[in-house]
Amino acid sequence: MASLRERLDDFKKAFESGAPPYNMTHEAIEMMHRATAELKASSIEGAALKVGERAPSFTLFNQDHVQVASTDLLHEEPLVVSFFRGHW
Amino acid sequence: MMELEALQGINSEVKAIGARVVALTPEVERYTRGVCKKLNLTFDILTDLHLKTAEQFGLVFILPDYLRELYKSVGITLDKFHDEPEYRLPMPARYVIDKDGIIRAADVNADYTIRPEPSETVRQLAFTPQ
Repeated sequence: MASLRERLDDFKKAFESGAPPYNMTHEAIEMMHRATAELKASSIEGAALKVGERAPSFTLFNQDHVQVASTDLLHEEPLVVSFFRGHW
Repeated sequence: MMELEALQGINSEVKAIGARVVALTPEVERYTRGVCKKLNLTFDILTDLHLKTAEQFGLVFILPDYLRELYKSVGITLDKFHDEPEYRLPMPARYVIDKDGIIRAADVNADYTIRPEPSETVRQLAFTPQ
């Protein structure tokens, strides 16, 4: 299987080509680039939690409406916590 | 989505190491359920309602107005997905947290097109006490 990097790059190329199925306009692509550049420049990355810091605990509902507490999980094993934007 | 598929790809390896994957999104359960089903995920997606946890990790930003309109025009209605009007998002991020609750690895990028390789996460887990 191709690396995640390769697959993301392929997607980006197709998305930004302006061709179907995405049909993105040049203006739209420019706007997205601008937003990313602005976010990068805002130094927000530096404010995120870093290695060595304590992770905040959380208790949240999963996809089956079952409550999941990070402290319960960590009692058993280390965690990989992935923040993603959404289904779109 | 592509990253979730990649995480699913390492999930059995992560389990074998003695660790667990969880994914957090601001989306309400109606959408997380769909994603789990569609991708046949064997780890949980948790609804980080109103980005409370993402905020504590320092990951939250507000989408600029010009992008908000663009998103809306292509059906990305974050107000509906997140059950809040603000159009906020988390920066994509991946953390490895040890049993003491300490962050052992952190990958955060303001450019959402850049994500860490799952194989790198497996490598980091190997250095995390089980």
